[in-house]
Amino acid sequence: MTATQVHETISEETVREISEDLGEPDWLLETRLDALDALGELEMPDVIRTPGRDWTNLDALDYESFVDPLNAAEEKDQVGPDEAEVLPLSEAVEEREDLLKEHFGSVIDPQENYLTALSTALFSTGTLVYVPKNVDAEDVTIRTTQHSQSLFNYTLVVTEQSSSVTILERQDTGDDVEGDRYYSGIVEVAAGENSHVQYGSLQDLDEETYNYTLKRGDAADYATVNWVEGNIGSRLTKSSVETELNGEGSETKTVGAFFGHDDQHFDIAARVWHNTAHTAADLVTRGVLDDEARSVYEGVQDVGRDAWDTNSYQRENTLMLSDDSEADASPKLIINNHDTEASHSATVGQIDEEDMFYMTSRGLDDESARNMLVEGFFVPVFEEVEVEELREDLETRVQERLHE
Amino acid sequence: MSSEQDQLKETNTEERFAFKKDESAAVRSDKGLTEEVVRLISEDKDEPDWMLDRRLRALEHWQNMPMPTDWPGQPDLTELDVEEIVPYIRPDVDKREGADSWDDLPEDIQDTFEKLGIPEAERKALSGVGAQYESEVVYQNMQEQWEEKGVVFCNMDEAVQEHEDLVKEYFMTSCVPPSDNKFAALHGAVWSGGSFVYIPEDVTVEMPVQAYFRMNSEGMGQFEHTLIIAEPGSEVHYIEGCSAPKYGSHNLHSGGVEVFVKEDAHVQYSTVQNWSKNTFNLNTKRAIVEKGGRMEWVSGSMGSKATMLYPCTILKGRGASANNITIAFAGEGQNIDTGAKVYHNAPHTKSTIESKSISKDGGRTNYRGLVHISEGAEHSSTAVECDALMFDNESTSDTMPYMEIDESKVDVAHEATVGKIGDEDVFYLQSRGLDDDDAKQMIVSGFIEPITEELPIEYAVELNRLIELEMEGSLG
Repeated sequence: MTATQVHETISEETVREISEDLGEPDWLLETRLDALDALGELEMPDVIRTPGRDWTNLDALDYESFVDPLNAAEEKDQVGPDEAEVLPLSEAVEEREDLLKEHFGSVIDPQENYLTALSTALFSTGTLVYVPKNVDAEDVTIRTTQHSQSLFNYTLVVTEQSSSVTILERQDTGDDVEGDRYYSGIVEVAAGENSHVQYGSLQDLDEETYNYTLKRGDAADYATVNWVEGNIGSRLTKSSVETELNGEGSETKTVGAFFGHDDQHFDIAARVWHNTAHTAADLVTRGVLDDEARSVYEGVQDVGRDAWDTNSYQRENTLMLSDDSEADASPKLIINNHDTEASHSATVGQIDEEDMFYMTSRGLDDESARNMLVEGFFVPVFEEVEVEELREDLETRVQERLHE
Repeated sequence: MSSEQDQLKETNTEERFAFKKDESAAVRSDKGLTEEVVRLISEDKDEPDWMLDRRLRALEHWQNMPMPTDWPGQPDLTELDVEEIVPYIRPDVDKREGADSWDDLPEDIQDTFEKLGIPEAERKALSGVGAQYESEVVYQNMQEQWEEKGVVFCNMDEAVQEHEDLVKEYFMTSCVPPSDNKFAALHGAVWSGGSFVYIPEDVTVEMPVQAYFRMNSEGMGQFEHTLIIAEPGSEVHYIEGCSAPKYGSHNLHSGGVEVFVKEDAHVQYSTVQNWSKNTFNLNTKRAIVEKGGRMEWVSGSMGSKATMLYPCTILKGRGASANNITIAFAGEGQNIDTGAKVYHNAPHTKSTIESKSISKDGGRTNYRGLVHISEGAEHSSTAVECDALMFDNESTSDTMPYMEIDESKVDVAHEATVGKIGDEDVFYLQSRGLDDDDAKQMIVSGFIEPITEELPIEYAVELNRLIELEMEGSLG
């Protein structure tokens, strides 16, 4: 990727204007400008490569056609219970500059790759979720409806010691725009000691939208960071959900579900780093592909040298409904400590013929039988979704898609 | 031969003579793999022009291709000084007539032979002395038994002369073209020695065909080529026993293996490799399997500093199948990056991959696999199973399977587990009177049983003994 592909409105003036609108402090503006400067040198995020092939071609995206940061428009719900602080970014820069300064870019390096840097330079909307010590905060909702060509969204979650929070994030698209759209979301979670974060996400963007999302949690001692990652919409999604288990006894669980149809392309990663002792991870993803949809799944369990007594599990299953769909999977285990119990598995297949036969012999027509089996396929992952509202939303979207 | 080649050959004659006049100096000053060296090898073997032509084309690929450097977690090849390869080639060519004596072998290699209990005669063969003699005996035995049926088993260099049509058709054409990868290109340019196996239609060779001690017979074992052609309905088990550690001076092994499994034929290719710990082992092994054919790869990778080896099977015909069983053992300073590749290109094809790895003392094992199911390869199935056993906290084990599925009517499964040796298991065995080392060895033997049971008993015993030696860490 070279800077020449960047739209000319991606300039220092643009960045300064965005920053000024949000009333940002200088250090944040500097962070943006540094990211902007770095664009020319940064690479696209890693994609899976096998000889002769990139599984997702991010370089093919034409950023000039959809990056339009100054005309960003969205409708946003940012609500939470009184016990927690759920602040739009423009308020957070004033009221909670200390938290922003401490945590912004601490979990995800703004210059990690081209797309994180683009997001850092250009984000115009975002949310800070702050949960003080010993507070349990339920039902934090961040709903973003994109009305513009492009939207860059930033979310920071900070939980203090022994707190807990449940966050439900949703993205969809509203007003029509001409041509392709781009949605970029960066989520950083700094989970304090013994805190519990449940972060659920439902991506339901329209199918002209290209989507880059990177969510990463940093779990302190005995903290838990759990993710639910639902992908239904978009034309192309490159999404990573990651946890660094930096604290002793910390844990993470990722539950992923995707359902692709038409020519949708999902490039989904679930990653965990076991960096210290007594940590545990469980990554579970199920996806369905219909028509010419394609999925690329990468799961990484990285067990570091100091990660004694690690438990790490990963499962990924893909169901293919059409001969024209394509599924690629690579569940990786990287083990540097022998005191580890780790396993992973992945399967790809079609609906079991015997199951179909059984269902149809009970009087169901083919389509109803197929739909029931698809819904049934998702049950094991939906059961893991602790947020009822999110589970229901996901179930509804799967049903709607089946009956489209 | 084209006039251009004539010209090349013409202009080179002078250089070649000059080269021969001042052998050692000329070679040592000649850094890098050059056309002269390639021509020299070909000339020395009195090869037909088409083979020289293929070597030169391979050389071009070698010169134009980049080194693999950016695979995730790949072995570090920076210490592999390709410029130094050439000086190794020329002395080896010179060694054709002579041979190293047993006494010239490095002590640790002698020691290993002792510990393995390899008989004196075999030791001599392994160390290079009388290899030709020994191999002739084997070839003769083969000929007596199978000649009438048309089975061919001979040295690859000999095959170029004696079975030119077959070699011309199959050698690095459709299976492993030199353009396949950097080291296949290198191999194509400087290959020497190896085995040629031809099994005619409907012939079953009941005993395993073994190429056990050919490795040092011409002193160029590190670029050996194996070509196996199994005609429809035939069956053969080929065993490549590279269990002798190689001479310490060699730092690169880049072999090539091509297997053609015709309709309903069945080929098993087994290999037990134990290279010296300073060897880079970068091979390309591939089989093309026609309708109803079956290919089985059984490999044990023990030695080497770094190994990158992924036996590949292309399931080309309906109902073709492939089984892979691999075991890797990495000790101190070793990086064994191995796995399997299977392309399902036809309906009703089946594959299984079973991979076991053991790492200790800072060793690193990788499983790197690729299963590709092409569109139209309906009702294909594959199952991949990887297990890693780690002894200590300095060691590393990575599992990187890749699955590319273009067809929905398939059944694809991958499973992998990693674990330490269970303290409880060790305790149990100790309570039965075994010491700690024996207990661990017994656990490892059980762990690798799926491999050993596929091998003829002498190889299985040897593999176990090699692992015992590794476990003792007492090779020197």
